[in-house]
Amino acid sequence: MKAWNRNKYAAGFLIPYFSLFAVFVVAPIVYGFFISLHKWYILSPHPTFVGFANYRAALKDDLFRIALLRTGYFVLMVVPIGNALSLLLAVSLNQGYRGTTIYKVCYYLPVLTSVSVVAIVWRWLLSSEFGIVNYYLRLLGLRSINWLSDTKTAMPSIALLSIWWGAGGNMLVYLAGLKNIPRELLEAAEIDGASPGQRFRSVTIPLLRPTILFCLVMSVIASSQVFGQTYILTGGGPYYSTLTVILYMYQQGFGLYQLGYGAAVGYLLFAVVLVFTLLQFKLLPFRRL
Amino acid sequence: MPGRVLKLPLLLLPLSLLLMSCLTSGCGKQEQRAQNGVIVLDFWNGFTGPDGKTMEKIVDAFNKEHKNVKVRMQIIPWGTYYDKVTLGLAYGKAPDVFILHTDRLPEYADSEALNCIDDLVRLGGLQPKDFMPRAWSAARWKGHQYAIPLDCHPIGLYYNVDLFKKAGIVDDKGKAKPPRNLTEFVEAAKKLTVDRNKDGRPEQWGFAFTWLRTNAHTFLAQYGTGWISRDLKHSDLTSPNARKAFSLMTRFIYQDKICPAPEGQDAWVGFRTGKVAMALEGIYMLTSVEEQAGLHFAGAPCPQFGPVPAVWGGSHLMAMPAKISPERRSAAWTFIKYLSDHSLEWARGGQVPVRKSILASAEFRRLKVQYEFSKKLPHVVYLPQSVATNQVLPFCDACVEAILNRIKPMDEALSEAARRINHVLERS
Repeated sequence: MKAWNRNKYAAGFLIPYFSLFAVFVVAPIVYGFFISLHKWYILSPHPTFVGFANYRAALKDDLFRIALLRTGYFVLMVVPIGNALSLLLAVSLNQGYRGTTIYKVCYYLPVLTSVSVVAIVWRWLLSSEFGIVNYYLRLLGLRSINWLSDTKTAMPSIALLSIWWGAGGNMLVYLAGLKNIPRELLEAAEIDGASPGQRFRSVTIPLLRPTILFCLVMSVIASSQVFGQTYILTGGGPYYSTLTVILYMYQQGFGLYQLGYGAAVGYLLFAVVLVFTLLQFKLLPFRRL
Repeated sequence: MPGRVLKLPLLLLPLSLLLMSCLTSGCGKQEQRAQNGVIVLDFWNGFTGPDGKTMEKIVDAFNKEHKNVKVRMQIIPWGTYYDKVTLGLAYGKAPDVFILHTDRLPEYADSEALNCIDDLVRLGGLQPKDFMPRAWSAARWKGHQYAIPLDCHPIGLYYNVDLFKKAGIVDDKGKAKPPRNLTEFVEAAKKLTVDRNKDGRPEQWGFAFTWLRTNAHTFLAQYGTGWISRDLKHSDLTSPNARKAFSLMTRFIYQDKICPAPEGQDAWVGFRTGKVAMALEGIYMLTSVEEQAGLHFAGAPCPQFGPVPAVWGGSHLMAMPAKISPERRSAAWTFIKYLSDHSLEWARGGQVPVRKSILASAEFRRLKVQYEFSKKLPHVVYLPQSVATNQVLPFCDACVEAILNRIKPMDEALSEAARRINHVLERS
């Protein structure tokens, strides 16, 4: 009876959140699927039910395939490099040196900045004519690079800024993981004569496995949905080299108002990300301690 | 104690529901649209530049002259303009009068979002015969009138008078002489391309492509072809004439070397700062060069590069939403007619009117650049009048970018774009 009462109060407190969650998350998810089954131009008075035709059209659409590949390329660059960098930062900040708090704040600040601000700042940094990066390249006697308007460099440039932007977030998670590692284990290893490298490899990493898995899974999910950077910096160009799936979905759904088709593209991305997440849980040797 | 605890969530529930209902329906008061018998019309457009100021003056004058109708103008940047208009039309919050470009008309009209104004045109006030025929028909869809063209903005040649004189491209009287055909154009552009230190990267270019879409559209139209076939059924980009048009454009960059590749260039800034001697741009860019200190420029009709004397052009159309009350409709018509009658004022802000009576007037002929550009009005070729136009344009843009920057071989880029365009045309 007591437990029931407690649950009842808990439920009462949860109602405001759940009502918002239901209206703004669950309902749009269900409604989005409903839209994806229709040929739905926003102005057409009567959307027509077409079953899975939008899904079939998307699978035949070479731009959707290109967008999937570009997104994959982005994820492959951002997830390993970004996580390695975050881990490196976390380990160095965990040494207990003085003044590390300032560094923590500095590394975390970009995470708090909105994507539009980050993108605009980087557009100036990477500008071919007025950018500071090219300025230094020229100072060193090198040729300037069209960072964002060359098909080869555009996506790596966006990956670079995304890594810079997000490194601080995972760094905090890794730091929390590192703090949870019992000091005795590291000390015992040290007494047994393990070098710092051995201690890191054989004690820290195995104990960090759940944290690493969490960060990897979350990074894959987040970076599969890259949108703001490409939308602001390149709009998917030059020649589709930075066209990502969410950007393509946006262009179809909110640029051209082909809502049914856009929704289908979104659901296909969801399916792909779901498969990859499950695969990560299955294949990565991080699950068991 | 538990009772008190329970009260809080119970209090929060109605609050959260209230919040949600506000978010979904909008808490603001219903807009006041009629005050003391005066009809207040909402008028939307995207004229954020000096053209907005010109329009404001015309609207002010209208408001002074009309006691029963008041126009409230809202300027929304073109970048987000169509989002607002489309959503307004879809959810019944559209303004009473709004501006739209010719390429938007088919999709809006086909979705029954625009007001058919056949009866208003028939009742008089505006004579269809007084309008340039191409602009007039761009405001029609499937045999019905859905809008009235306010202007036409054809592409034309802007050239730097000082650089022309310096290069000796002048007529008998010593005045700068703009090129009229391909031979004259290439000859002039070669003289105007200057590479002082011979590093292969000229400091001054004879010509530069500014907006790739309108430039490429003009070249295609001059070779008698376009993005989509005349019957609007398939893409025409794989036709031999399309290949000829693009070959000429790439020739300027890579063979004649009179024009930079568009990659990473802001060519219009180049023209304004005297680093580019010629550019093909719309009449709406006029004020931006007029404001440029120290730039002596002039306008001329677009040279003829191919066998057809065609040029790209667009029009601002004035339209009403499908759902509008009879009183507001008649007030809106009065306003639309007023704008059309005052399109000479509008032309002064950097536009070309489409009323023949205004085009023939002495006042209009005094507007030098506008008058020069207007000579091509009979040859204006609009973007394809298809419901799918805005869906295929991104493919066209990407294709031109790829060809001119040599990202893809021309044939490959053209056939890829054609395939994608055909895919969309089939779907719609």
